[in-house]
Amino acid sequence: MFNPELKKGSIEMLVLSLVEARPRHGYDIGKLIEARSGGRLTFALPTLYPTLLRLESRGWLKGRWVEKPGERDRCFYRLTAQGRRILADRREEWRTYVAAVNDVLGQT
Amino acid sequence: MRDWQAFVRARLHVPDLTPAREARIIREVASQLEDFYRDAIARGATEPEADAHAGGQITDWARLARDVRRADWPHVQPRVDRVVTALEAGPAAKRGGGLVAAYLVRDVRYTIRQLLRAPGFTTVALVTLALGIGATTAVFSVVDGVLLRPLPYPEPDALVRVHEVLPQLGLFSVAPANFFDWRSQNTVFDRLAAYTSDSETLVGEDGPERIQGMQVSWDLFPTLRAAPAIGTVFTQEDDRPGGNRVVILSHGLWLRRFGGNPEVVGASVTLSGAPTTIVGVMPADFYFPVRSTEFWRPLALDPANATRGGHFLGVVARMKPRVTVQQAEVNMRTLAERLARQYPADSAGESARVVALQEQVVGAIRPALLMLFAAVGVVVLIVCANVANLLLVRASVREKEMAIRAALGASQRRLVVQVLSESLVLALVGGGLGVLLGYLAIGPIKTLSAGSVPRVADVGLDGRVLAFAAVASMLTGLLFGLAPAWQATRTGVSAVLKQGGRSSSTSGSRWVRSGLLVAEVALSIVLLTGATLLLRSFAKVTTVDPGFSSDRVLAFQVSLPDVAYTKDPQRLAFFDALLTGLESQAGIESAGLVQTLPMRGDYRLSFGFPSRPPYQPGQEPSAYYRSISPHYFEALSIPVVRGRAFTPQDSASSQPVSIVDAAFARTYFPGENPVGQQLRIDSGSGKVTTIVGVVGDVRYTGLDVTAGPTMYAPYGQDVFSTTWVVVRSKGAPAAESGTAREVLHHLDASLPAYSMSPLATIVSDSVGQRRFSMLLLSVFALVALFLAAVGLYGVVAYSVSLRTREIGLRMAIGARPGDVLGMVVGGGMKLALAGVVLGSSAAVLLSRLVQTMLFDVSPSDPASYALTAATLLVVAAVACYVPAHRAMRVDPMVALQTE
Repeated sequence: MFNPELKKGSIEMLVLSLVEARPRHGYDIGKLIEARSGGRLTFALPTLYPTLLRLESRGWLKGRWVEKPGERDRCFYRLTAQGRRILADRREEWRTYVAAVNDVLGQT
Repeated sequence: MRDWQAFVRARLHVPDLTPAREARIIREVASQLEDFYRDAIARGATEPEADAHAGGQITDWARLARDVRRADWPHVQPRVDRVVTALEAGPAAKRGGGLVAAYLVRDVRYTIRQLLRAPGFTTVALVTLALGIGATTAVFSVVDGVLLRPLPYPEPDALVRVHEVLPQLGLFSVAPANFFDWRSQNTVFDRLAAYTSDSETLVGEDGPERIQGMQVSWDLFPTLRAAPAIGTVFTQEDDRPGGNRVVILSHGLWLRRFGGNPEVVGASVTLSGAPTTIVGVMPADFYFPVRSTEFWRPLALDPANATRGGHFLGVVARMKPRVTVQQAEVNMRTLAERLARQYPADSAGESARVVALQEQVVGAIRPALLMLFAAVGVVVLIVCANVANLLLVRASVREKEMAIRAALGASQRRLVVQVLSESLVLALVGGGLGVLLGYLAIGPIKTLSAGSVPRVADVGLDGRVLAFAAVASMLTGLLFGLAPAWQATRTGVSAVLKQGGRSSSTSGSRWVRSGLLVAEVALSIVLLTGATLLLRSFAKVTTVDPGFSSDRVLAFQVSLPDVAYTKDPQRLAFFDALLTGLESQAGIESAGLVQTLPMRGDYRLSFGFPSRPPYQPGQEPSAYYRSISPHYFEALSIPVVRGRAFTPQDSASSQPVSIVDAAFARTYFPGENPVGQQLRIDSGSGKVTTIVGVVGDVRYTGLDVTAGPTMYAPYGQDVFSTTWVVVRSKGAPAAESGTAREVLHHLDASLPAYSMSPLATIVSDSVGQRRFSMLLLSVFALVALFLAAVGLYGVVAYSVSLRTREIGLRMAIGARPGDVLGMVVGGGMKLALAGVVLGSSAAVLLSRLVQTMLFDVSPSDPASYALTAATLLVVAAVACYVPAHRAMRVDPMVALQTE
């Protein structure tokens, strides 16, 4: 639906923003992206899962296995302090970028 | 529902992750696939539909694995850890071996990190080891190249030298007639060949040059089994009187003078005025008997006319298969003694001796080299003690770490492996540095030993030496690792942890450290004593009065070819003109001739007294004999103590005269005046001479050999065609070398002045081997002293650091800094003193081993021992003072607060 390059550039920011409010597990994150975008944005597991690992490796996310009563064990990812700073930067950057792109596109 | 974990595990293989990490990833991916499945079911799909939906989420498993590996980089193991993991998991682990290997690999990494974290300790340990291994490597390379490596001939063990044994004189050169009889009558040798030294003047485009070579019997090359690189060796036809004038060149001479041109074989050169055909060139690696031999010519002796009284041949032989040196010796002795009985007039009392060629070449230097090797072994022991002490100190600092590891379940064996791995890493790195150091040391050692150690050109750093260095490093590592490893097994968990983290020093480990230190000091004393004894010997040898003065004296050789100078009067006229020419030069005070220079060879003749009953054949005494010109005594400042020196009037036509030295006078004319007495010198003519003077004793054969009785004859009455010229100059002797050459050139442009050197250099070179042993042993002794000082410093400094609190307390209750200083220095000095006492006792026992290398110094020389002990104690005091000074300045408040 969208240009894959465009998707690739935004996936990290999307993942970080989805765990901002509370920790989520991998499947949950994938479903939320699909739901919130009205089905326009989907990321398959082979794309999403390595992204989670990469963000964890950089220290922006922290994964933790959690047992909840009546549920299976799942690895929940939460945002670290460093991840929070990065997300704020990325959001600001994205807004500025989109505004700039819109300005340019609007004038044509 | 299917087992999703099994599903993922069968498909996803992420290389290089730890097993635990890989399991987590599999679990998580499986968990997500299960979510897909359950969601599908929840939306009303059938089980097969849901299963296909979930299973279809991942199509390219290999790509996922690659992406996961890239994303999960912090968990990708370095290769070494994967080896460990494999070893730990592998079947070998169940047998125990793999586990130890696994620990070792991991421990080595751990150790390297630990060592880098303690640069001070690591540097000291590595420098210590490098010194030890470096010295060992360098000396072993010399021992290997000189003593151990076989000679460069095929089957060298079968080669022997055969000597004559003369009554009174011992081992001696062989008379030609005896050689011919030996060759035809022995039953133990395949071949027997003879040789004698020769030097010839080679006239070429760049002027005359004197070259050193050998005259050899034709079968020398077959005896050695040496083949020429180009051309042929000699035939039996070449080796007879009046045979072909032929020569074989060494590879070096061929390159140097003939540009390596293979066409020279068959060409003619002029050797000492006579045309000579080059028949062959030997290969580059061939030499006989020494590397400086540049050519070989046939000996061309006449068996029918050979002398039995003149001894001048070297004899080399190849034993038949399965013949031993002892058997050869028995056979040759029987043969020689039979000949002695057969020809009593010339050979009475003579025998023979067979010596393996290798022994012959290196036998004389062996004791010195073995002593140096032993010295190096002692240095290595000191190194071990030193590093062991450093490790022990370190181990006690790390006791807590060890105790915690033990508490967490590390087995004793595990801890020992860890400690040993540290020793091995140190040993190997130190060994590597040592090899480098040894490599750098070989050059100077070769320079120092050139001329005094045979075969030293063969010395180098090769595979054998490297293998030796590697083994030495490993053994060193194990040796110095033993004490700390033993220590690790004794670490008590509760004891250490109870001390609240303060590192302890159990009395056991303190004893070990003190013991090692005492041993170290004792070993240093042994080396220092040995070095001092050799040093004092050397000082005595070099300050001994040789009976002549070498100051401002230049020496060189001149040789008159028989072709051009056929008769004695011609030779005399030439030498007279040469001496007159030299003495007329402004820079030259006096010039003399002598056929054998001091320190350069031995020339003896037997003699008798016409006025006394004759000696039995074979019982005649012999004495040094020198044919000299009138100004020889003047040129060398040899005093005439009685009578007169020779004058130009002592000529062939005047009354035969001789001069003897004081030793001769003391021995044969005790209480009498020799001047005016008759002396028969057996120089061939059997002339009876009148003794006209007595001169001072001269040490002719070496500074360390007492002057023997010597007879002098005027060269006018016994002229040699090859002779030494000695010139006393007014200034530096080397400055006159050009003048001397010009004078000679003026008289005969075809004659080179060769072996030119200041006499002082010749005298100094004569003690080269002594200097070599003395310098090397001194270097090792200094290294030992340095290491002992470092060890002492380390132990005292460590004890100060442990006692900071105690020292603070003492000072708080009124101890003065001086008391603290005394206490700390005293503690260290007690150990040093124990080492000195122990070492000196050992040195007394061991010094006998160097007795043969001493000169005019007793092995139990009290001055040497006192000097050594004093030196070590002074160094020890300094090594103790530095940490003690620090202890003295401990602030009581700070010290008490530290814990």
